[in-house]
This record gives sequence, structure tokens and C-alpha cells, in this order.
Amino acid sequence: MIYAWFAFMILLSGALVAWFLRHPLKDYGFDLQKSNIALGRQKKLELQNDLKLGLIDADLGQQAQDDIAKTLAQELTQSQVRVRENRPVPIWLAAVLAIFIGVFSLLIYQALTPKFTVKIPTKTTQLSLEESAVKLQNYLAEQPENAAAWQILGLKYFELNQLEASLNAYEKAYQLSPKNPKLLVEYASSLAIKNNNDFHGRPIELVKQALMLEPDAPDALYMAGLYAVSEQEFKLAELLWRKALARLKSGSIEHKILLDVLAELSELTNKTDKSVQTVEHLAAGGNSIKVMVDFSDEILSSRAQDFLMIYAKAAVGRPMPLAIVKIRLKDFTGQIILDNSNSLLPNNTLSQAGEVLIVARLSSTGAAFRQAGDIQITSAAVRVKDNPTVNLELK
Amino acid sequence: MLPEIGHFALILALVFAILQVVLPSVGLLRANFALAQLSKPLLWMQFFWILVAFAILMNAFIIDDFSVKYVANNSNTQLPSIFKISAVWGAHEGSLLLWALILALWSVAVSVFSKRLPSEVLHHILIILGLISIGFLLFLLLTSNPFERLEIIPIQGRELNPLLQDFGLIIHPPMLYMGYVGMAIPFAFVLSSLIRGQLDSTWLRWSRPWTLVAWAFLTFGITLGSWWAYYELGWGGWWFWDPVENASFMPWLVATALAHSLSVSEKRNAFKHWTVLLAISGFSLSLLGTFLVRSGILTSVHSFASDPARGLFILIFLVLVIGGSLGLYAWRSGRWSSSNKFALLSRESGLLLNNILLIAAMLSVFLGTLYPLLLDSLGLGKISVGSPYFDAVFIPIMIPAALALAIAPFLRWKQDSTKRIGVLLRKIWGLILLLFIAALFLTDNIWVLLAVFLFIWILTHSLWLFWQRLRQKSGINLGFIGMILAHIGIAVFLLGATVTTQFGVEKDIKMSLNETKIIKGYNFVFNGVERFSFENYQGFKGNIEVFFADEKITTLTPEKRQYSTGMPMTEAAIDPSLYRDLYVALGEPLGAGAWSIRLYYKPLIRLIWLGGLLITLGALFAAFDRRYRLKISASEL
Repeated sequence: MIYAWFAFMILLSGALVAWFLRHPLKDYGFDLQKSNIALGRQKKLELQNDLKLGLIDADLGQQAQDDIAKTLAQELTQSQVRVRENRPVPIWLAAVLAIFIGVFSLLIYQALTPKFTVKIPTKTTQLSLEESAVKLQNYLAEQPENAAAWQILGLKYFELNQLEASLNAYEKAYQLSPKNPKLLVEYASSLAIKNNNDFHGRPIELVKQALMLEPDAPDALYMAGLYAVSEQEFKLAELLWRKALARLKSGSIEHKILLDVLAELSELTNKTDKSVQTVEHLAAGGNSIKVMVDFSDEILSSRAQDFLMIYAKAAVGRPMPLAIVKIRLKDFTGQIILDNSNSLLPNNTLSQAGEVLIVARLSSTGAAFRQAGDIQITSAAVRVKDNPTVNLELK
Repeated sequence: MLPEIGHFALILALVFAILQVVLPSVGLLRANFALAQLSKPLLWMQFFWILVAFAILMNAFIIDDFSVKYVANNSNTQLPSIFKISAVWGAHEGSLLLWALILALWSVAVSVFSKRLPSEVLHHILIILGLISIGFLLFLLLTSNPFERLEIIPIQGRELNPLLQDFGLIIHPPMLYMGYVGMAIPFAFVLSSLIRGQLDSTWLRWSRPWTLVAWAFLTFGITLGSWWAYYELGWGGWWFWDPVENASFMPWLVATALAHSLSVSEKRNAFKHWTVLLAISGFSLSLLGTFLVRSGILTSVHSFASDPARGLFILIFLVLVIGGSLGLYAWRSGRWSSSNKFALLSRESGLLLNNILLIAAMLSVFLGTLYPLLLDSLGLGKISVGSPYFDAVFIPIMIPAALALAIAPFLRWKQDSTKRIGVLLRKIWGLILLLFIAALFLTDNIWVLLAVFLFIWILTHSLWLFWQRLRQKSGINLGFIGMILAHIGIAVFLLGATVTTQFGVEKDIKMSLNETKIIKGYNFVFNGVERFSFENYQGFKGNIEVFFADEKITTLTPEKRQYSTGMPMTEAAIDPSLYRDLYVALGEPLGAGAWSIRLYYKPLIRLIWLGGLLITLGALFAAFDRRYRLKISASEL
């Protein structure tokens, strides 16, 4: 159906081009020389008006008129009158152009269309995840041998956070198609999440199978890297992730994520004792605020990679942070200390403030402004001079 | 299926843009009119297919088609219908599509309303516009496809940035884009002249009205943006010297210079090289603005995109456009005749001074905007350039410009004398002196006194000039009225901007229930805050009654909203009037019914936007002057 529409659009375009080729638009019949002559005359009339209004000295009027004539003469010398052919274009050229439009546009479309198969919705109202899962189940009741459908069902259940149902669907898909690397990685991922991100046992076996089938599969390499980190095999993890990185398109989201992960790995391996940093903070002088933040288990498990931003802002006045700490949630030890060393501007430090509000924000992007999906909590106002401790909860 | 049709329509538009460049070029080279004349119908078809794509994207928003990634990322079922329409250009991909549509619209306007242009010149212009269109359509299709589908369709879309859920967003971007993209028209005119090697009267005469219309849209777009920032961002400011604002201000300064320079080139055959460079700079700065906003270099409400591939594409496009056009200029510039002569004191000199000051101002903004970015990108540290720099550098340049703009219209072409000007203007200089002395009794603020002086200076000169011409009867035309309006607009803007900056009062305070604060004689009584909810947000609504001399003026209800996706927003409450605005924004709850509240008193702030509107109106009047509507009849030829 879609290609019928494309054909109609191409035919319409081709027909219009052919029509305009056979029936050229009306030419107004004047060329550049005639246009410049006419404008030269108009400029002379405007000069007369300027003289009448006193916008040019009467003595200089003749000189201005000579300037106009001189300019026109130069313009006429520069421009050439070209004899134009007005013969209609042969019909075969019109046909070639129409074909060109069709072939060229379809080639571009083929080149730019995403590689995955898109399920085009037939209704304007979209199905919910639950509805999609039910439809897939109904379909699989009739076509139980369709491994791809089981795999999609596994993913749907995974998104619905129904891990048991997801694993069952993946297992069925695996039984039907055990040599699909993408399926193996998805299955391993669901299993690991079910086991609190533990890749030991079946998950890593599935990842290994995927790598045997496709040694350069980036998602399998990524998973293997995570396993290596859990085993304190940082060098191996770096090797695997760098290999995956080489396979990913530069600028893609996956590429960026992997770069971030590698940077964190590098930090992890070079990390100094955090307690030393804490002592340094305290030594920075001035007042400080101890901030303790509690997270629900769900947040800790599902958003470990998100950025946690904890900052103090004036209770009254501009909302610019006076002191801020930004770390990944997985690196958060439960408390941080805000002091002058975390201030953004030397002349606007935490110690200079009276009452402040403490804000804790969890953000997937780490952007300065609050984004959709961020969660945030703000404390009651506290006095900086009291060196208070603030307890916050993000659930 | 519709999004696929929209995607294909964009591809067809690209194919037609390519044909719009290739076929007429072959036609012009081989003097074949049948092929050359295709520039118009091919352009119309390109426009038609972009319009189809745009309509399909808008439809996807209206019917909540979340299978389209762009729709899912920027709309949801709870979004009010009007914002579903404006959400089409609320983020990167859609705004680029709007950009391409506006470029095609401008091109169609040129093809339809340029009946006085020789067809050969028009074909050249449309070829250049086709080339620019190819660049933008490729950018859309390769890096920013608005019709990209999602493999898994979400149940609900995300939220359009609440800052953008506002009437201002419905009109600000289209107007600004009309101005930005409109600068492509004088650019195309100048490039067509460079290619033909003929920088003649035809080009100069017919490119000016297009420049003026683009300038009008740019002015209106910037004015709307300033107004929107004032009431929507909750800071009470009207201009922040934000790099994105500067990105639109730089082409405006160049367009202002170009509109003036073109009039001299056209009437007196002077400044031709300068005019060419201004036309190239104007469009290049528009593209630079696009690069800054779209590449992700800047972080602000305008930075929808942070994709290096997009930034690289625009950078390459920018280099091609600037490099190509300057290269063409270097190759062709030796062919033109020298300028006609004019004396040091003449209208030509006055307009030249205006141009030099405007370009110096533009360069100061350019430096302040790009230098921090350059340092940052070279890893040499971060510096912040804000209003102290711009106030110190920009204002001293604009003071002589404001002084000169009042005098220049009185100067004669080619040569004038100080004696004549002195005799002509001594009466109004006396009047200005008297008015200024009266103003001295009102304030001792040096900046306000300066602004009042400039206001009186420009207004008195403009009205005197108008009166003189009125007496001469034949001297009044739309172009002249446009100039007077635009100059008065500058004066009104100067007064509003200075007075509101110098005499505005801003209080960040804690207010308890029933507490009263007094600002400039206005009593603000805080009656507390109540919860409320709307279609796609809920939040707190404050109640602040304002009294003046014991008489209730108004009740202001600032809001602090929490959108359904969790995004917070501050919605200021404003009591507007031509003399002053009272502006209240809610801060944070501070316990026991107390809230932090921002109270502002903004005298004459409305004059800022009134000035912008007057300049816009002036530019439109000038663009529709009779001389640009004269028909060149066959008998005249």
C-alpha cells in the first residue's frame, strides 16, 4: 500500500515536470539591459524629485545626473543580450526526467529507511504494552513456533517489569532459536537483572554463546565487560569494551554510553581513597552542611548509572547553586559534605549565605536544568552557620 | 503509513531542489529558455512536498502518533491541542523542517512577486536558493529526520518543555525564522550578481524590499523573544546577552546596516563592495546562529540538539557558504566600476558612519559571544562574558549611532555644509535644550538623563523632518514614513530599556501570610498560596493583592507548576501598563505559610517592545514603498 502511495507521488511529480517542460511559463519579455535602462530613467525621475525637495544641492544635480548616466553606460557595457532559444523540450527528455525522479527518490528512500522492520500501526490509537503483550500471546497461541514473536513478548514483559513472564518467553524463544546472538544477549540481560545484576551462571554462559556465534557483537561484548568488572578484571573489561567501541558508529548513543563507561572504569582504577577527599573538603574552611540521602531499593537498582546532584541554594533570592556536588548514584556512599570548595563562584560561597535549601536531584542526563524523568527533593530552610546535617529521602 | 509518506515527501522535495539547481543551470548555460524557466515550477513543487511533510508531522502530533519518535519525545495525550500544533517546531527536527518550509516559502514569494526582475536574473536567484535548500533538506534527512519511527511504540509521549508551552512559542520561532531565512534572499541576489559578474541597478533596486521584509521579521521575532523571556522565565529580564539571543542580534545589526547601505548603492552607485559583504555576512551570521544553537555548543532553553554529527554538518555547510561566497566575491570584485564621489559631510557619509558603527557593534557582540566558546573548546579555561562586557562595549558604540541617525536624514546627497544644517536645525536644537533642562529637574541619574536626551533628540528631529516634508507635499511616501517610524522606534526603545534598567526595583524576599511589602508606593499583600490543577500540570497559586494609595489596583496570582512528567515551572503574574509593570514570581515554600517571593517594579518596560514594533512597522512601510511597486511596462522599455 505504501509503495502505491509513493508511486502516486512520483507520477504526480513526473507529470507536473513533463507538463511544465512542454508548456513553458510566460516570459515577461525584458532582459537585463532593458531593466537597467528603465531603472536608470526612474533614478533620473527620483533625482528630479530629490532636487525639488532640496535633498541635493541644485549645483550638484547635474553631476548626479551624469553619475546616473555613467553608471547606466557601464552596466550596459557589462551586460550582454543573449539570444534565447525557446524551442520546447523533446518528449523523451520529459520522460527521462519523470523516470529519474522516481528512481532517484526511491533509491534515497531505500538508503535512508531504518534497517529494522517497523510495525506500522493500523489504528490511530496506540496499543498499550499490556495490550501488545495480550495480542502477541494470542498470536503465539496460534503460531507457537515463531521464535521472533516469543523474543518480542519477552521484551514486552521485561518492559512491564514482569521478569518471570519475560524469562519464560525468552526461554521458549531460545528453545526455538538457540543460535540468535541478539536473543542470547537479551535473555542473559533479563536473567542477570532477575539475579540482582549478577552475571554468574546462566547469564554469562549465554553471553559466551553469543560471542562464539558473533565474536564482535557489541552488546555481547558490553555484557561480558560488565561481568569482568564484577570479577575485578578491569583490564579485561577495558579490552572487551574497547573492542565493542570499535564496532559502534561514532556519535551513536551506544558509542557515547560506552565512552562514559570506559571513562568511569579509568576513574575506578585510578581512584584514591574517598576519605582523603572528605578530609580535604573539611579543610577547605568556612561552614559546611552534611547531606544524607536515602534511596529506595528500586531506585538504587534501576538508576545506578544516573547522576545525583546535591546542591545548596539560597532560601531567598536567585536560585543559582551556592555549592554543588555531582556524582553517579552508584558512587554515592550515602552522604556528602557541601562546603566552600564546592562553590561555583569565589565571591558567592556557601559560607556567605544565611539560610539555604538543600536540593537532591537524580537525573539520567545530568543536565543543569531539570528534565523530564528527573526526581528531586528539596529540604526545609537551614542555617549555614549551624553547620547542619540534612536528611533527605528519594523514593 | 502517513509518516512514511511524509518522509518520502521530504525526499521528493530534495530531488526537486536538486533539479531546481541542475536544469535551470543547464538552461542558462545553453541559452535554452524551456529548461531555464523550470526554476519556478520545480521550486513550487519542492515547496508543495515540504508543505505536505509539514502537514503530516502536524497531523502526527494532533492524533498523538507516538510511533513517531519526534512526537513521542515532545508531546503527550494531555498536552493542550494548541501546544500540540506549536510542538511541531518545539524541538530540533521539527524546527529544522519549519526552517526548510520557510526557506521554500520565501523562494516561492520571490518567484511570484518578482515580475519586474528579468527572468534570467530570477533564474539565477532561484538556483542559489535551491542550493541552500539542498543543504537544509540534506541536513534534515541525514541527521534530523522528524519522521523516524520507534520500534516499540510507547503508551504515552514525553512532555514538551513547559517553558515552550506558551503562546510566545507559537509565534516567536516562526517569526524569527522568517527573519533568519529571509536573509537568504539578499544573499541569493548578491550571489546571482557575482556569478553573472554584473552588480547593477537591477540587483540593487529589487533586493532592497526583500531585505527590508526580512529585517522586519527579524526585528519582530527578536522583540517577541524578548517579551516571551520576560514573562515566561520568571526573572523579570528582557535581554540576557545569552549567546542564543546574540546569535539573532548579530544578523539583525548586519541587516540594519544592509538596509541602509543598499539605499546608497542603489541611488548613488556607492558602497557596492561594502553592500556585497554585508549581504554575505548577514546570511552567514544567520547560519552561524543555527550552528551555535543546533550543534549543542551552547546550553540553554534553545539548545534542542547535542549531536556532534549535526554540528559537523552545519559547520561544513557554513564553511562552504562563507568560503564559496567570499571566494566568488574575490574573483569577481575587480570587475566593478568605482563608486561615485561624495563629500565628508553628505548623506552618503552619514549612512556610512551608521554602517561602521553598526558593524563595530556587531563585532563587539561577536567577540563577546564566540571568545568564551573558543577558549573553552581549546581547553584554555572557562570564562563568562555577560552584561558588564556588553554594556561597557556595546553602549558607547550605539550612543554616537543614535546621535547620527537623527541628523543624517537632514543631510543632502553628495555634499552639504555645517552652516546649512546649523541654520536648518537651530530652532529644534533650542527646543531640545529646553526639554533637556526640564528633564534635569526630574532625575540626576546620568544614564537616564542620557536616554531622555537621546529620546528627545531623535523624536524631535524625526517629527521636525516629517513636518517639513508634509509642507512640501510631494515628499511623503511609504519609504519616508517607514524611516520616521523606525527611528522613533529606536528612541522609544532606548528610553524604555534605560529607565527600566536604572529605575526598576527588584526584591527577593520572604513573605509570611498577610505580610505587606512596599515598593515604590505599591503595597503588596501576601494572602497565601493554594493548590490547583490543570490539564497537564498541578501546583501552587499565590494570591497577592496590590494597593496604591489605599486603593486596590489588582490581585496577582503567580504560579509554581509541576507538570505531569515532573518538570517544574514558575509562572509569573504581571500587572502591565504603559508606565510600569508590577511583576510577581513565586519562589520556594519556607515553612509556616511563608514563601520566598520575587517582586519587581518595572517602569516603562513596555516601551522596549513598543519600540521593536515601531521598527518592524517602519521596515514594512519602507518595503512597500511605491518605487518598489512600479511596473516596467513594455512601452517604457
